Amino acid sequence: MNNTIRTNFSSPSIGRILSKPITSSSSSSSCCSSLTTPRIKFRRRYHSYQHPAPGSPFTKAESAILSASLLHVPSHGFSNAALSFGARDANYLDISVNMLPRGVFDLVHYHLATERLRLGDKIDFRKPENELPEGLRNLSIPAKIRVLCMERLRANAPIIHRWQEAFAVMSLAGNISASMSELAKLSDEIWFLAGDESHDTTWYTRRATLSAVYATTELFMTQDNSKDFEATWAFLDRRLHDVKTIGSSVSNVTSYLDFTVHAFANVLRSKNVPFF
Amino acid sequence: MATRPLSRCVFSAASSKHLRSVVPRVAAFHSTPVGLNSSPPKDDQSSSEPVTHFGFQTVKESLKASKVAEVFSSVASSYDTMNDVMSFGIHRLWKDHFVRSLDPGRRPGGQPMSILDVAGGTGDIAFRMLDHSEKVNSDRETTVLCADINADMLKEGEKRAIQNGYDSNRISFRAENAETLESIPDNSIDLYTISFGIRNVTRIPMALKSAHRVLKPGGVFACLEFSKVSPAPLDAIYQQYSFSVIPLMGQLVAGDRDSYQYLVESIKRFPSQTEFARMIKDAGLVNVGKGYEELTFGVASIWKGVKPLD
Repeated sequence: MNNTIRTNFSSPSIGRILSKPITSSSSSSSCCSSLTTPRIKFRRRYHSYQHPAPGSPFTKAESAILSASLLHVPSHGFSNAALSFGARDANYLDISVNMLPRGVFDLVHYHLATERLRLGDKIDFRKPENELPEGLRNLSIPAKIRVLCMERLRANAPIIHRWQEAFAVMSLAGNISASMSELAKLSDEIWFLAGDESHDTTWYTRRATLSAVYATTELFMTQDNSKDFEATWAFLDRRLHDVKTIGSSVSNVTSYLDFTVHAFANVLRSKNVPFF
Repeated sequence: MATRPLSRCVFSAASSKHLRSVVPRVAAFHSTPVGLNSSPPKDDQSSSEPVTHFGFQTVKESLKASKVAEVFSSVASSYDTMNDVMSFGIHRLWKDHFVRSLDPGRRPGGQPMSILDVAGGTGDIAFRMLDHSEKVNSDRETTVLCADINADMLKEGEKRAIQNGYDSNRISFRAENAETLESIPDNSIDLYTISFGIRNVTRIPMALKSAHRVLKPGGVFACLEFSKVSPAPLDAIYQQYSFSVIPLMGQLVAGDRDSYQYLVESIKRFPSQTEFARMIKDAGLVNVGKGYEELTFGVASIWKGVKPLD
């Protein structure tokens, strides 16, 4: 299955993907507005079938500098130097990087946000089955999640040797909340594109577990030297399997507790203890 | 006290009467009821000239510049001491943060920057800019032009530049009105800064327009100024402090109550963070982020704007 996916979705060219800026205007129409007509005008921070799709948080000028800066990340890393080169490429001055209030973190954030918004353009399991590419038809939900995770992780491949720097920036105290929220949005995006329509507590648990799986896999990928990241995909499979095991053990524990509590209540009732 | 310059002795002898007495006289001329704590009169038409505020007082627009000049001529020599006393030295942290966040100086493969520090007579920001560009970006070519409407403040800055051995090719001082910036060509400045100065400008929108004019496309406007303190209880304490303690300290330390009374009143009159961010936007600059960054619960704020490319 790996091969099919790779042939279907191998990126046309790294440069083109990185240099295509996503602005709020283009992104709003990109992934799902064509499929659902939003009933409510204002935006939500999560995917909803009633609200318009969340757009890019960056202005046009910021996107211009940041998309140009991303091209310098492979050689200069996530650094102020990359930002300066990017500003110059976008015909701005060196001082114009002041437009980015959080500096290098904005560059990391831009990569996270644009790749998240691009994911829906690449794979969208909410389309009818016959519109999906060959290898992606009739998949189970866990298989869809796996495909989407792999596709998103592949977008890190061109800069994976610099991605640890991004982790360092994201883990600074002031940036943690924005990074976590970006991770939450990504796992929401993945579940949404997989066609998840849960509306009970599993909405939260699914997103929480996927966030954990994704973050650990992304960290693993920075250390992966195997050909075509095969070790990473194996790692991802093991984590997803763990989640399944944990999920079933949690539900076993829940039914055990449920049974015990009910049995205890019935014992009390049979002894004529005023219970309820 | 004995070492006070002669000019200021003369001023402060006359000042306490002067500052308070001018206003009723102006008002009497135009027969409009004006007093302390009053907003500008509604029937401006009766007056031949528009009025503006000077602290809580209302004065004719043409008079404000000279009255502000009097205040700053009077505080020029004790400016830093008083800033330290009033803000417990925190103004230094604000200014350091301001300059560090702007990160001036030549980048690898780039050009040296040309920086304009408006209302920077004492050179406070300019010296920090030069230090930062030299120490952080190893740049000895970036230049700073300090423009100030007040010759006394400029003299103070020039004196300090010589004392601290700054390269005279990299720092220059020029008397200039922030509203017009007459001698500065269009599209010539990388970074325009104004620190604790813009609230003293008579027509702030005009100053912002001039900033837009002199900045290169992509150039950055940055303003450090007092703003509104946000949690209400803290604001109450802050108001109490600024209206009772600061004028008193001005009297004790600098021997000049009225100037410091004006300072706190002008701080109170300055627009809020969001209003000023909107003014920056109206002048054609693009706000950075939400438009401002609050320092110390909003006692001061930094506003940044970028001149768009076209």
